Amino acid sequence: MQNEIVLEAPLTINWAINNSCNFACRHCYSRTDTHEEIPRDVLLACLEKVAKAGVFSVNFGGGEPLLHSGLLEIARHASGLGLRVSMNSNGWLIDRETARALRDAGFTKVGISIDSHISEIHDQFRGVAGSHGRAVAALGHLAEAGITTSISTVICRINHTAIDDLVIFAREQRAGQLNFHNFKCSGLGLSHKDELDLTPGEWQEFYRRALAAKEREKGLDISLDDPIIALLGARDAGSLVKGSVCGKLSLNIKANGDMTPCGFIPIVIGNIVRDDLKQVWRDSPVLEKMRNKKATGKCSGCSKYEDCLGGCSARALALTGDLNSPDPHCWA
Amino acid sequence: MQTIHRNPNVMWREEADALARVQEALDRGDEVEETGTSVLFSGGVMLSLNFLGTEIWKLCDGRTMDGIVAELLPQFDVEEAVLREDVQAFLDELAAKGFITYAE
Repeated sequence: MQNEIVLEAPLTINWAINNSCNFACRHCYSRTDTHEEIPRDVLLACLEKVAKAGVFSVNFGGGEPLLHSGLLEIARHASGLGLRVSMNSNGWLIDRETARALRDAGFTKVGISIDSHISEIHDQFRGVAGSHGRAVAALGHLAEAGITTSISTVICRINHTAIDDLVIFAREQRAGQLNFHNFKCSGLGLSHKDELDLTPGEWQEFYRRALAAKEREKGLDISLDDPIIALLGARDAGSLVKGSVCGKLSLNIKANGDMTPCGFIPIVIGNIVRDDLKQVWRDSPVLEKMRNKKATGKCSGCSKYEDCLGGCSARALALTGDLNSPDPHCWA
Repeated sequence: MQTIHRNPNVMWREEADALARVQEALDRGDEVEETGTSVLFSGGVMLSLNFLGTEIWKLCDGRTMDGIVAELLPQFDVEEAVLREDVQAFLDELAAKGFITYAE
């Protein structure tokens, strides 16, 4: 009684409600974005559109979402509409009182960005002294408030060989989930690509070791959101479709309401203020292209293509100009 | 008596367009087994259910197995024993995934 289905709306929306940030991360994808934000009353109405379309969950991001003065009201409104509400934060502003306020506003899960188990390395990467300590403290405050926590780590040159250390660190912090996000060449990430990105061979080695850790570690959910791991015969348990989930299960909304397939693909396919979400989801030619990728270049004839579908479309677009190109991280 | 309950943490929805297509197909007497009409999501697991699966899922509101079968029987052209077996197998699968619970 289980079947293939064409979804009529995204399951989840990643919503960058602002672009203001108190950090200066080397890989930031949104620092160069407009600081134009949707007025609060309009944003609340947009959330109603999203809920009405049947979206299950909204994950707030930014920028640093806690710098948005209306975050709690917005979350409370979303939660009241039946949306599951979560957030990604750098943790700097989360003390005990804020953690409780987040819980009361309806946040069920908060991910904290931590890129190294070594505080000096994290602080340097994030551009703010003391940021590691504040992030760790935030994890404690959130857990104490009863909010599920996760650690989000952007894998790049500063941490790709530290998998075991990151796992130990996550366990010490009692995080339920450790998300290894693949480095995207988007925004400042593109400017600093040569300094931060790994070679295809290094990605292969990283994923071999990360998948081994995922298999080995019980009680800690290690999440790998990269479709390219299909090359190693693996699929993340969280991967519910073949290839990338972007445009198939999830959609991104920017601070000004522009909708993009994901946060790392700067192609605007509509605007949540003026457009119908379900219509954009159904009719966008960009999403159609992402859902029906065609093997090109070295993907042609690759035995893993059916599962990998060319890997990450955002990386392909950033480095080749075509969503359909083979993922530049591919080592095959 | 054992009752059957949806896990409240499961997020789910029916897909209106797919449901309309299925209802049209049913009116024509066509097969609809392969068409998903609802999507369920929990703990990183997504399920898509066909029309019968969706109807069963919607009835997991504290009813008994007998109650679910009694509700479905008039809607589907099927022997009661066959329906009961199919429903039990489906519920056991949902229970194994944590999407429903049985309670005494």
